[in-house]
Amino acid sequence: MRVLIQLRPSPDIVAAVAAPDLTATTADVTDGLPGVALDHSYTPVALPRARPATAGGDPLSLNQPLLFSMAPEEASVLVRGEISDDESSARLALLPGRARDVIGVYADPVIETSLTCAGTPSVGTWQDVARLMRVTELQAEGYDGTGVALAVCDTGVNAAHVTRQFGRDVTVDHDRSWNPSGVSGQAGGFAVDHGTMCAFDTLIAAPRATLIDVPVLLSRRQGGTAMDGLLSDAVAAFAHLRSVLDAQPAATRALVVSNSWGSFSPLWDLPPGQPGNYSDNAAHPFNIIVGSLEQAGADILFAAGNCGLECKDRRCGFPGRPIVGANSHPQVLSVGGVDTSGERVGYSSQGPGRLSDHKPDICAYTHFSGSKAFGDDTPDSGTSAACPVAAGLVAAIRTRWPASQISPSQLRTLLHRTAEDRSDVGFDYDYGYGIADTASLLSALKRRTARQRL
Amino acid sequence: MGAMVLVTVQLAPSEATLEQAMRQLGLTEDEVDTDYGLVPLMPEQGLYAVRVEEEAGRRVSPPAGGPFTDPPIEPYGPPH
Repeated sequence: MRVLIQLRPSPDIVAAVAAPDLTATTADVTDGLPGVALDHSYTPVALPRARPATAGGDPLSLNQPLLFSMAPEEASVLVRGEISDDESSARLALLPGRARDVIGVYADPVIETSLTCAGTPSVGTWQDVARLMRVTELQAEGYDGTGVALAVCDTGVNAAHVTRQFGRDVTVDHDRSWNPSGVSGQAGGFAVDHGTMCAFDTLIAAPRATLIDVPVLLSRRQGGTAMDGLLSDAVAAFAHLRSVLDAQPAATRALVVSNSWGSFSPLWDLPPGQPGNYSDNAAHPFNIIVGSLEQAGADILFAAGNCGLECKDRRCGFPGRPIVGANSHPQVLSVGGVDTSGERVGYSSQGPGRLSDHKPDICAYTHFSGSKAFGDDTPDSGTSAACPVAAGLVAAIRTRWPASQISPSQLRTLLHRTAEDRSDVGFDYDYGYGIADTASLLSALKRRTARQRL
Repeated sequence: MGAMVLVTVQLAPSEATLEQAMRQLGLTEDEVDTDYGLVPLMPEQGLYAVRVEEEAGRRVSPPAGGPFTDPPIEPYGPPH
């Protein structure tokens, strides 16, 4: 959390900050505050003291005529810093009493005029995403997804459309693909829709990955509607993926599972605390099978959701903490969205998560011109696009590092550690640990290789 | 069939069939989504899921685990 800290240092320092011909720095004002990462690029600002204009006025009221004094004995100084989201409430409360000179701590919210939201035109293209994700470097080092199974659990894939958009062939594994009961259609031959967008986006970083088509959202099982599936279908899909994983040789297991879906409304669920609840309940069958599949060696990614505070999807029904159920599972990588300028898109859901507090884990690129699955002028958007973009990076890494060498849990930690931090204090609820950073990830893997050779 | 829920059942791997699960829980064919079948959740620990009518789910839990909700799931995009 970014904060402004109001200090009352000695009058000579206040005078130096206030003097127009001098430039005082944050280091001149304070030599550090406990738990605060001070922003030394911010020039301290002198703040006048307000006091009642009339004798006997209420010293705590701003609803009266006021006089403002910049006298060094009365004025104060603002500096800028950041407090970890983990403990922001406690620090905000305790700092003024515990740290010398601190008289107030205030939120310093991001102010934006052009946050990317639904309806915003594309911000860059998939080629920009490929450049930002250093796909050329990935491929030069043999990280292209060859031999890696990449399951797209969605509305089905139209391989011909993806092939047309990329101008190159894509591989769909018909034998390992799977349809929910009652869903007809061939793997790779479904109508162009959301799943085709996701498939396209996975292949940006892992062009040679083998797609496993799992049209879980096409289920027409009783209780579903025309545009959704049921969680029970996802349970069955994950059981199928477990059999796919178990069939791989243990030494070379590589299965990445991309999930750009979730549950929007608590109305379909039991309230948190009830034993049958899904959103907050690690014991729900789907949350159990997610943990079981991950433990067996699969990398599971979920979109964080499109319920960001600034411009949330109108379907969002959870009143708070919108990263729910498996999307917040501690054993998945929960992916938020940034545009190609590196700014969080306004609809990307913020943490904390319900099953695990530290969500989203990381961010990846979205809202770019890519698959054209929804028309030439419609971007690949939502955390729906960010999730498969990140899944492609994970699949690329799996080309050379199967789960037997780096477990899914270790790979998530590596992605956390190498992410480009968008704050100064590590994890935050907007960006998680930051934007997936291919260059740092490759460097870390090189160091790991060097250590193994010793 | 009315509203459906998920229940979990513990089965020995050698007996992991839908018929055995129904016998063990006292469920009739009319109460069970037989198309859905018996789905392994943690096969190494003998934990399986069955999709059943809400009323039956309440009746058989315990010994079954649950009943658990089976909410709709939707794509997260494009944002509306």
